[in-house]
Amino acid sequence: MFDPSMVPTPDPNPLPAPYWVFKLLLVVTFALHILAMNFMLGGALLALLARWRQKGSQFGTRIFYDVAKKVPVMMAATISLGIAPLLFVQVLYGQFFYTSSILVAWPWFLVLVLVVCAYYGFYFVSYQGQRRHQAVGRVMLFSTTLVLIIGFIYTNNLTLSQVPANWAQKYFSSTSGWGLNLAEPTLVPRYLHFMTAAVAVGGLYLVLIAWSKWKQDQQYARAIFQLGGKAFLYATMSQFVIGFWFLFSLPKALRMIFLGADSLATSLLCFGLVAALVSIFMMSAALKKDNIRLAALGVTSVTALDVLTMSTMRELLRMAYLKPYYNPQQFAVQTQWSPFLIFLVLFVAGVAFWFVMLKRYGLFSKTKAAQQ
Amino acid sequence: MNYPVWDVAFGAGLLMALVAGLHVFVSHFAVGGGLFLILTERKARRNNDAQLLTWLKYHTRFFVLLTVVFGAVSGVGIWFTIGLISPTATSNLIHIYVWGWAIEWVFFFLEITAALLYLYGWDKLEPKVHEWFGWVYFVTAFASMVVINGIITFMLTPGNWIANHQFWSGFFNPTYAPSLLFRFCISLALAGIYSLITASLQKDAELKARIVRWGAIWTVPSLLLLPVFAWWYIRSIPQLLWVSARGAMPTGTHFALLACLLLGGTLLLVLVSLVRPSRLHLSLSLLLAVVAFGAMDSFEFVRESIRKPFVIVNYLYANSLYFTPMPGDGGFTVDNISSAGVLQTAKWVQNRNLTQDNQVAAGREIFRVECQSCHTANSYRGIHQYIVLRHWDQDKLHAMLGVLFMMHNNVMPQFAGTDAELNALSAYLGSLQSMNPPTDLHPVGKTVFEQNCSMCHQARPDDHLFTNMPKDPQTAVTALSSLPAMFPIMPDLKLSEDERRALVQWVDTQRSAQAATGGN
Ligand code: HEC
Ligand code: HEC
Ligand code: HEM
Repeated sequence: MFDPSMVPTPDPNPLPAPYWVFKLLLVVTFALHILAMNFMLGGALLALLARWRQKGSQFGTRIFYDVAKKVPVMMAATISLGIAPLLFVQVLYGQFFYTSSILVAWPWFLVLVLVVCAYYGFYFVSYQGQRRHQAVGRVMLFSTTLVLIIGFIYTNNLTLSQVPANWAQKYFSSTSGWGLNLAEPTLVPRYLHFMTAAVAVGGLYLVLIAWSKWKQDQQYARAIFQLGGKAFLYATMSQFVIGFWFLFSLPKALRMIFLGADSLATSLLCFGLVAALVSIFMMSAALKKDNIRLAALGVTSVTALDVLTMSTMRELLRMAYLKPYYNPQQFAVQTQWSPFLIFLVLFVAGVAFWFVMLKRYGLFSKTKAAQQ
Repeated sequence: MNYPVWDVAFGAGLLMALVAGLHVFVSHFAVGGGLFLILTERKARRNNDAQLLTWLKYHTRFFVLLTVVFGAVSGVGIWFTIGLISPTATSNLIHIYVWGWAIEWVFFFLEITAALLYLYGWDKLEPKVHEWFGWVYFVTAFASMVVINGIITFMLTPGNWIANHQFWSGFFNPTYAPSLLFRFCISLALAGIYSLITASLQKDAELKARIVRWGAIWTVPSLLLLPVFAWWYIRSIPQLLWVSARGAMPTGTHFALLACLLLGGTLLLVLVSLVRPSRLHLSLSLLLAVVAFGAMDSFEFVRESIRKPFVIVNYLYANSLYFTPMPGDGGFTVDNISSAGVLQTAKWVQNRNLTQDNQVAAGREIFRVECQSCHTANSYRGIHQYIVLRHWDQDKLHAMLGVLFMMHNNVMPQFAGTDAELNALSAYLGSLQSMNPPTDLHPVGKTVFEQNCSMCHQARPDDHLFTNMPKDPQTAVTALSSLPAMFPIMPDLKLSEDERRALVQWVDTQRSAQAATGGN
């Protein structure tokens, strides 16, 4: 029998802003993190695919290098956007998150080493380029594999953080922090759900790249579009299998929140499924009609919405998992107004300034960039 | 004890030191190095110095690959690691300072973007626009230091926060300003030091010499200014804590000395590099970097040492117990645990009740939840080593465990638990080695002092051991047969008559040597 009193007591400090503020920030920044991660990982996987599938063909290699060049930047984005949810998850779920991290401490710590290695590998690829074609392919494969492992460790830790009942047995059989959460029935489908999404969203990333090159070199852009669009299509279609596998691997009580027991969760699931279907039809129409705008604008917006929906569902699922141990009302709230407002102002100004930077860099003026 | 303790055989503290040490060395470079890039670019453009510009481009790549990749990931690494090692402290810091962290994240995000655009913009942007990105980078990098500095200094000198729990009271605490200037100074010095690494790889001897001299302009004045800010910094730390670095605590004292030596060494090596700047070899620039790294890490060690037994001074002990009871503390205070028992209070122990048979196993768990945040059994700061070093037998060990909090300028929290639990802890620690030290027939006074008194008394004439020990040898020998009678909270160490005699004799010779040199 698990003793619920083993769940650590949160520290005595009140929340420095209302609960929902952190909830909102957590869900939104997590969605951004996962999008960036998808661009990075999906981009890397599709770059590798392009390289293998069209061996020797001009475009395959070209796509590989064009996409690979951008991966390090997306890695930077993944990490930078990962810090925010890392902060907010600790604000709201520290007692679960720290505990599960400690139970898988070594793999969790290893994430850092893997991230550094993968990151330098991606930079190696983007700097060496054609000069060392063979080596670059291997390094790219190596780094991408590391990223896949990182994602796996994440899913291990986060699934464990939601099931306190599994903690004691795990800890008392070994306190050294080696080991993962492999006995968790949702582990594999959940992980595959994330990784397949990475391929789909990575496909969209390729569509966006193709769009930016459409005017300059349509034939080449079309090749990228085809690759990215199809990747999106197949990946999203397979989500209907993987997603339902995930849903049915959940304990019954939790599954039911998406199947009627909780109206918000159920509507979000319906919405998410419809959005996925719509995006599939849109993408296949766009591919058939060679309509890059539809793919780049339409499918991307629908998918962005879908990612946000799924992130919210993920949060509702966590709440359901933790229901016996966690009660949002437990938090005392004492808003620290001045630092909170400073954050809000800086955040808004920061986002605006960020766009100014991109603009000054010439990212939005295609002609200028083309001159160089 | 609220959280499970991650058992790292070689010492989780070492892992923390490794991650934090590397991060600090790179992240300070990320600040000073930003200013270095932009001012060097301006200088090169003003003088139409194409060579210098070419080198700077190359240096930018080195800078970005180091700071954006390693600097950023190791920064996340500190979060991961403290979360694993001190979850309670992390949780407190998060709840007290989320908005600080969130603000710092905004700057960080802009900083990373600016760094990448500055790097990729070298061949793409007009000089003016390129320089603008350099400035954006530096300003945002500096701003993140401004924020983070408030939280780091809070841990050492929380100031009025302890009383009022106000964000800004803890943030702008007594060491905020000196620490910021001190760290900024370090970051400027590092900018110069790192520039020598890429400079040493240049083929053109004349260009190399120019960079080395330019680097020295960053390094030398900063290194000379550093002691000034250090002095101010030290003056702002409560004396009670600072004496740990002045002899009261061996670790703190050693590292303070080491920091000074290595700082001097850094300056010396910079001067050496200036003797033949055109011949600067990679090995010298790397040696310089290593010595500077040592200096900086030693400083961080001093900071952490003098903070002990706390992670957040006067609020939270390193072993996750709160200093004073308060609502919501979960019972994790010395007071509560001493009456309720640690095995009853801790969440992550299996031996809830003590029996004849589980003494060692329970003692081991007590050690894990109470001591392992700073110690290991056999490795880093291993208790085994201490017991061997001090030649303690089971009785002495037991006596010492009850008075840990007095040792080395209160470097440890008081043992929290019942007497029976103290016995169990002592049984476990005693089981780490054979506990029959050789009985010395001719004890040496100095050794007796080191093995029995040196953890609380310093071998210096103004320590009360020397000033207040009865002057008459026989009276002293008799008095020493009961330390608690001399001073109530001293441990009841049963010293043999020979030991007492040797000790008194040694104390006397120390005193007369002192008198002979005329005091002080
Ligand atoms: C806040 C961190 C911290 C905690 C918690 C802590 N210690 Fe220590 N302890 C230290 C440090 C630091 C030293 C060594 C000081 C030095 O040499 O500079 C030390 C030294 C010792 C020594 C050797 C003293 C000597 O010089 O001979 C013993 C024995 C010891 N600790 C036992 C324990 C036990 C048992 C516990 C748990 C009840 C414990 N410590 C908890 C930090 C801690
Ligand atoms: C666990 C810590 C501890 C140990 C070990 C310890 N002492 Fe003390 N001792 C103290 C403290 C605390 C005081 C009181 C504060 C002070 O005067 O420094 C004290 C005071 C004294 C005094 C002055 C008493 C007075 O009248 O003011 C003498 C003499 C002394 N100790 C001798 C010794 C000798 C000799 C040893 C070793 C055999 C020893 N102590 C070991 C903690 C310790
Ligand atoms: C670089 C490779 C990375 C990959 C592939 C990756 C992947 C993932 C995945 C798949 C999840 C969801 C896990 C689940 O719910 O089962 C996740 C969550 C998360 N990631 Fe990342 N991640 C990466 C890097 C990072 C970094 C560097 C950070 C921190 C700076 C980070 C912060 C987070 C956080 C905080 C969450 C959990 C948010 C929550 O529970 O609400 N990630 N990541």
